[in-house]
Amino acid sequence: MNANEFDVIIIGGGITGAGTQRDCAMRGLRTLLVERSDIATGATGRNHGLLHSGARYAVNDPESARECIEENMILRRIAAHCIDETDGLFITLPEDDLAYQARFVEACKRAGIAAEVIDPSEARRLEPSVNPELIGAVKVPDGSVDPFRLCAANMLDAKLHGGQVRLYTEVTGFIREGNTLKGIHTRHLQSGEEADFYAPVIVNACGIWGHHIAEMAGIKIGMYPAKGALLIFAHRVNNVVINRCRKPSNADILVPGDTVCVIGTTSTHIPFEECDNVAVTPDEVNLLITEGVKLAPSLSSTRILRAYAGVRPLVSADDDPTGRNISRGIVCLDHEVRDGLKGFVTITGGKLMTYRLMAEMATDLVCKKLGVDKACETAATPLPGSEESSYEAVAKKIWEAPSTAQKAMASRLGTRASRIRNNTPYDDALICECEEVSVGEINAAIEQMDVSTLTDLRRRTRIGMGTCQGEFCACRAASLLAKAHGCVEKERADLANFLNERWKGNYPISWGDTLREAEYTQWVYKHVLGL
Amino acid sequence: MKLQEITQSKYNFEECMKCTVCTAYCPVLQVNPLYPGPKQAGPDGERLRLKDPYFFNYALKYCLNCKRCEVACPSGVNVADLIQAARIKYEHTQPKLRDQILASTDFMGKLARPFAPIVNRVTGLGITKTALDAMLKIDRQRTFPKYSASSFEFWLRHREKEQSAFPEKVAYFHGCYVNYNYPKLGKDLVKVLNALGVGVELLEKEKCCGIAMITNGMSDKATRNAVHNVEVLRKAVVDKGLKVVTTSSTCSLTLRDEYPHLLNVDNADVRDSILVASRFIFEKLEKGATLKFRPDFHRKIAYHTPCHMEKMGWGVFSEKLLRMIPGVEFTLLDSACCGIAGTYGFKKENYAASQAIGAPLFDQIRSVNPDLVACDCETCKWQIEMSTGYPVANPISILADALETEK
Amino acid sequence: MKFDTVIIGGGLAGLVAGISLQRKGQSTAIVSTGQNALHFFSGSFESMQEAPPEMLSVFGDAGIRLHYQEGVRLMPLGSFRPSCLSLEDISLFSSPQFARKVLVVNFMGYHDFFSSFLAEGLEKQGMQCRIRLLNLPELEKLEQSPSEMRSVQIARTMDRIWEKVVQEVRVLLKDEDTVVLPQVFGLQDTSVPGRIKQGIPAQVVFCGTQPPSVPGIRTQMLLKRRYEVLGGTYLMGDEAVEAHVHEARVHSIRTRNLDSHYLEAGHFILATGGLFSKGLRSNPFSIFEPVFGLDVDYNPDRNAWYDKNFAADQPYMAYGVKTDATLHALSGGIPFENLFAIGSVLGQTHPELGQAGGLAVRSALEVVDQIMK
Repeated sequence: MNANEFDVIIIGGGITGAGTQRDCAMRGLRTLLVERSDIATGATGRNHGLLHSGARYAVNDPESARECIEENMILRRIAAHCIDETDGLFITLPEDDLAYQARFVEACKRAGIAAEVIDPSEARRLEPSVNPELIGAVKVPDGSVDPFRLCAANMLDAKLHGGQVRLYTEVTGFIREGNTLKGIHTRHLQSGEEADFYAPVIVNACGIWGHHIAEMAGIKIGMYPAKGALLIFAHRVNNVVINRCRKPSNADILVPGDTVCVIGTTSTHIPFEECDNVAVTPDEVNLLITEGVKLAPSLSSTRILRAYAGVRPLVSADDDPTGRNISRGIVCLDHEVRDGLKGFVTITGGKLMTYRLMAEMATDLVCKKLGVDKACETAATPLPGSEESSYEAVAKKIWEAPSTAQKAMASRLGTRASRIRNNTPYDDALICECEEVSVGEINAAIEQMDVSTLTDLRRRTRIGMGTCQGEFCACRAASLLAKAHGCVEKERADLANFLNERWKGNYPISWGDTLREAEYTQWVYKHVLGL
Repeated sequence: MKLQEITQSKYNFEECMKCTVCTAYCPVLQVNPLYPGPKQAGPDGERLRLKDPYFFNYALKYCLNCKRCEVACPSGVNVADLIQAARIKYEHTQPKLRDQILASTDFMGKLARPFAPIVNRVTGLGITKTALDAMLKIDRQRTFPKYSASSFEFWLRHREKEQSAFPEKVAYFHGCYVNYNYPKLGKDLVKVLNALGVGVELLEKEKCCGIAMITNGMSDKATRNAVHNVEVLRKAVVDKGLKVVTTSSTCSLTLRDEYPHLLNVDNADVRDSILVASRFIFEKLEKGATLKFRPDFHRKIAYHTPCHMEKMGWGVFSEKLLRMIPGVEFTLLDSACCGIAGTYGFKKENYAASQAIGAPLFDQIRSVNPDLVACDCETCKWQIEMSTGYPVANPISILADALETEK
Repeated sequence: MKFDTVIIGGGLAGLVAGISLQRKGQSTAIVSTGQNALHFFSGSFESMQEAPPEMLSVFGDAGIRLHYQEGVRLMPLGSFRPSCLSLEDISLFSSPQFARKVLVVNFMGYHDFFSSFLAEGLEKQGMQCRIRLLNLPELEKLEQSPSEMRSVQIARTMDRIWEKVVQEVRVLLKDEDTVVLPQVFGLQDTSVPGRIKQGIPAQVVFCGTQPPSVPGIRTQMLLKRRYEVLGGTYLMGDEAVEAHVHEARVHSIRTRNLDSHYLEAGHFILATGGLFSKGLRSNPFSIFEPVFGLDVDYNPDRNAWYDKNFAADQPYMAYGVKTDATLHALSGGIPFENLFAIGSVLGQTHPELGQAGGLAVRSALEVVDQIMK
């Protein structure tokens, strides 16, 4: 077999693609994953990062609810270092109908979700930031999940199982023989280099962009782009997920994730042309704040760090203009059966939460097509880094008295932190001071995790995700990246792009401390450093 | 949307712009690489601690609580409060016996006072210092403050009648140092205030302000003292309508700001009535009161602004009072920490750092070569006297010295 | 407390005004909310041609030496920027081709000096570059701390061991005609940069680092010291929280620390800086001046405050308080008789007075003239 021939090609470097590659690779297939940008750049990295208990769907979509709670329990086992077991509250406010609570709890129970009605005072004790006027509360096993880390860990494991990953590689066309897809034409977006790759099965795991990929193969999938806008607040206001106990609506989930918390989301139908460049509007910002404050009043005086939006890859069943009544269930299409096109599979719909199940379904189908008979093991095998159950346990094994920076590294890398332990003081030096990311961790990411830009580095290490939004660390990290890649000129442009990308999330909320920080960053880069 | 008009977090940590100015003014960072520095220990660390208390770093104990980071911060972040509050919240280690002894200034004072001559001789002996150094890790190079045989409270109680005869009165929070070690400062204050026509009375029964307990991990005890003190302050301020003066910048800062900020003890109704004596006196003079100074008083005085005076922003009152004395040649020293920071410098492990922090100040004092160094803090006084050999006096004592006494 | 003039804001503009007024016999106070933008000072007074005589006196007496040459200066990321009037240790060149062969020297483990960017920028101009790292045992203590290899901390060490740097650079130097060093010299001892230049047998260029700026902090310290020697009252870490105004005159201000002890004065100068310094504040609905509620020149539509391209000129940077032609601040369109605005509170860029350091000094001296009239 030639170097450009594989058993399966997966298009799309989001969580679905990464998960599918891992599953295929673990079942012994030779895999290639191509992604036209970086990992987790679509909906994967543009949601709440909520580890759903399924409770949100219990009333309206029991099937999704069941999938969520099952995957929730699996992810706690296999992705410990990507997950924060925070628990969640579904609160009823005076303006809500308390009668809904009973229906909700009943539906949770039917779906197998441990939902416990608690006293409002107990809810205030569990989560002091919750709106104190609540009249009802239900505790559920929600949590939060870091989508970047989860995606990177899946991809890393796929590579450890022999998989190949090509980022910044766009599919420009299919290689087709009659009714069979044989391979893909690709172009590397940075170098412009063109290459063909061959495999008997090609998996379309491109989220909303899967619509285009399918079209390229001459197939129509009725996809429905629904934009959701979210706001990140600059620190954790809550340590327990707060949801509204009512029919799902706008801005009714507040999720604590890593050092921040996220309120969302909205839901707006957008045309396909806008999927590549979704911007958050002032109306969305206003709505998110106004609704968010009902969950946790202190949000009204908390600094907002960023505004961002993602596009849900819904597969439309009817013409509902809000996009909310469409099932979020998993759609796995065998195009040979559906459209008579051999060697092509689409896996879409679903959620970040159910990626592993989606990957399992897609891989089962791939294996069936290839005649491979091997069971899925992803539900029982921890991802690289998740071999310990907590970062405390990780840090304790590596360091006698870990510093805050070492603890932070353990929380990001899990057990993989041990590989960066024997460092000199030079490797301990912090590049990103907000999130406490060291030289050693950054160099390790550059060496092992396909980093070509500062933004890629951000997704893998959290640099530039803290309060200063890259003001302090961007130029330091750029020096390291320039050294690793041996090209300063490219890095200069990358640094400018990175700052612009950070600004994109800042300008919709540019007032108060965010605007102060922006003025300072402008000043430093333009007038002091001379970018 | 009538929201987001101001963004404000506890201690304003979200207003931190990551500009690093605080790190340039932290005296500890310059000498101790184990200390993470005010930015990391303060606003940066706070975000991680809010995620999980596990991210608390025990190296926060190296913070002096000098508050110079707060004074320097262009954004108004209460950096030192953040650090001390984190220590109170997350530091769950029992303070060492040594730290408990150093922190219990008023208990030790009560114990030592009756035996003052003996205690003073004993603590001055080389063998005692060696023993303290070896057993308790109190550095042998330190000079211990001497205890007074008779307390200030005792002295003033015998003058209650005479003091109550004045038309105007203030209450005096004398603190442990004046009461047990150096009643002369209290007597000097009484002399100056009496000359202004103001009588001095004691609070009903003050306790140690508690700052040493806060910094030595004994916040429970400090809170008990705070609750008690606010109660007796209330009796003076609210019931009797008196101002309360102190002769210690640290006691003042603690009563006014550390109580609500670090111990969550509400003092809103008394806070603004607690003043360092130099401010009270300056305001009296500004409103037309006069003091008569000796024509033969000539001193070259260098004024050192103690850290907590700098934090309160009241060094200006002491400076202007001293400049008012006709025979004074005045130099304002660059505002910098002397390194003692209360009990910090007494600890063996901190001695070298403490002296290194103070070195630039000591050098400047030597180059000015004054007759006297003036400052409003007792622990700065010990440190500067021990390290430079120059005598140090509270501005109130200098004022008292310079007064023309009618006899 | 009574003064002739009270200045709110203790950065470059406030200090220049304060020193100049003290020199002219006034008694003044400066209220400063902590340290200021001088800590990010590039060392050049952008948009300023020659130094006015009063500026030379103010800086000269404080021990700050300036120099002037029309040309460019080297920026930390390797670009060049037109510059004229600068602090003496900022090298000014008539053209970007200021050398043939350059040795760029950095310290091991120091990430705030961008030697590779510098070298690439110089090579673009046709110069040959070599980068070398110094490993000095004296910096070991700093290296132990993961966050404190910062310009100021290094500079404190360099005040003591700069001679060693000279020796090491002399060893490294081959046939280069120019040495580029990070700007971490002369924090306390102002003679150090000059002595390094004497000690190294090549052209020595000090290039900036990530803030805090060592020449900026030195400038702040020297100006503040000079101000205090002249009898000025510098209230560090205090903040004006309220103004007492009668008709078009400011009578006094209340500060957070002095509280009921108001500061009274004949004249008031507002030098509180821009958004970063909180001289201007913003919420989702407005940009306002917090102490006096002065008129602010800005677009009420929040979406017009910014340009979506980070690198573009941002509209908000030009917002500032409104004044009349003589810098009397306006409230409700009416100028205050005794309140002036200077420095970045006028906007980061001002149509007549320029920007940054130039704006600060020019507007300060203009207002001093007004007050002394």
